[in-house]
Amino acid sequence: MVLVMLIGSPITHAVDVITNITADTASITTAQLRRIYSMRQVKWANGVPITIFVLSSTNLTHQKFCKETLRLFPYQLDRIWNKLTFSGMGIAPTIVSSMDELIKAVKSTTGAIGYIENINEVSDVNVLNIDE
Amino acid sequence: MSMYLILMNKYRYAFIGVSALFTFNVIAADDKAADPLNIHGFIAQGIIDVDDSNFVNNDGEISTELTEIGINTAYQLSDDFRFAAQAVYLNGGNRYSDGFRVDYFLMDWSAYSSEQWQANVYLGRFKNPHWLHSSTRDIPFARPSIILPQGVYFDGLRDIAVGGDGGGIKLTYNNDEYGEFDFNFSRGKSPISSDAGEVITGDLAQGDIEHELDTQASIYWRPVFSQWQFGFSLLDSVFNYESESLDLFADGRFDFQFYTVNAIYEGEKWEFTTEVFQSRFVTDGFYVSQFHQDNLGQGGYFQTRFKVNQKLTLIGRYEKYYSDKDDKKGYQLEDRTFGKVPHYFGFQNDAMLGLSYDIHDNFRVNAEYHWIQGAARLNPIVLPNPEVNKEHWEVWAIQLMYWF
Repeated sequence: MVLVMLIGSPITHAVDVITNITADTASITTAQLRRIYSMRQVKWANGVPITIFVLSSTNLTHQKFCKETLRLFPYQLDRIWNKLTFSGMGIAPTIVSSMDELIKAVKSTTGAIGYIENINEVSDVNVLNIDE
Repeated sequence: MSMYLILMNKYRYAFIGVSALFTFNVIAADDKAADPLNIHGFIAQGIIDVDDSNFVNNDGEISTELTEIGINTAYQLSDDFRFAAQAVYLNGGNRYSDGFRVDYFLMDWSAYSSEQWQANVYLGRFKNPHWLHSSTRDIPFARPSIILPQGVYFDGLRDIAVGGDGGGIKLTYNNDEYGEFDFNFSRGKSPISSDAGEVITGDLAQGDIEHELDTQASIYWRPVFSQWQFGFSLLDSVFNYESESLDLFADGRFDFQFYTVNAIYEGEKWEFTTEVFQSRFVTDGFYVSQFHQDNLGQGGYFQTRFKVNQKLTLIGRYEKYYSDKDDKKGYQLEDRTFGKVPHYFGFQNDAMLGLSYDIHDNFRVNAEYHWIQGAARLNPIVLPNPEVNKEHWEVWAIQLMYWF
């Protein structure tokens, strides 16, 4: 069991990006995150398929992640995902109902990516450093 | 102490990442793959009222012929192969033939994938990915309005334009300096049912319309971190009409070419969309065996959406269309037909206002009102009906929709 501590956390966090440890990466750029969430990059550099877990588009953490981290509006992602799902051209992220469920899904799914907010301690996942 | 915290903050992610890398083998044993099966669907029912045209029905009464139901499944067979299919039931009155359809049924091969490039090959029945709303024209919550701009998304040609049986390629390229590029190419053939043929030709034509292989391509570009997206598309298609022995019409051939240019701005509150096109429609035969006509039609729309809050979005759109750019008012058409086809069958302009309200997650109501002048996009397209179709007509519609 590995326990990773987020050290020196301020009272409020920005949204952090987490991945399943099979993603094999410690940092990511904003441009790459946009590519992943808009389904334009579907595999990690090591060839592992990316599985995305998100909260509902009305969830405040999701909205904050879209606007501040991805610099996209939630409706833009909804539009891309609906188009892929209902035209058969691709698949959309899996929507989960709570942050706990999201963390659990990222921990247990190969190649998974998700986000957390205001959580000081999380184990068994990569917390990515986001480069501009 | 504060310097210590700053340093720890700075390097915490690297520490986390390195820790995680060292533990890869331990944790991987507990991991599972993503669920390979996905099932989604939608159901929408509305009411629609049209005065002074047969757009939906012939009697002008309020109609419930505004039903769209669909269910789809996708199954990930391996990292690179995926199966996807969708069945829909549609009822739009006179707009298109009602009934069940296999909307798409395809194999998706992820032929190449990297951080910059993705190449997918689709085989089977696929949706048309080339125009802004072509792949989601029947998906009520994934299109901007209940009725799409009829210049580009003419309902009478829905079954032909919505997709085809054949193959397609999608190539995406991401460049940190120049932005995101999409290239789509498809070759396919649309099966046209006798009902769908009748929507286009009316019940006087006894023969069958057949669609030969068409070729379509499109390119989209979004500059780096931009709210704008630009695209254009090309289509080249041929239809043949085979007459019956007691047919009022002769054998015919229709060549159809269609070029669109589009742009979208997606802001936090405001959104702007425009899609303009030119179409070339060459008719040989059909009306009489020696008939020949070569028309260049043009059109386009400008649409704006304003998000009042998270639930309510307002929409406004103005569209212009004329079937012959050298006869924008249709008077030559009227002269040519000795007055039997009034001039207003040569164009169609539509001013629309509407709203969209999210009642709950995945549960929405759309409402809209159209003021329309002209009748160039009313079925049956090859046999204009001036008895029921006036120059000025109006439509209002309300539709409730749920999706999962």
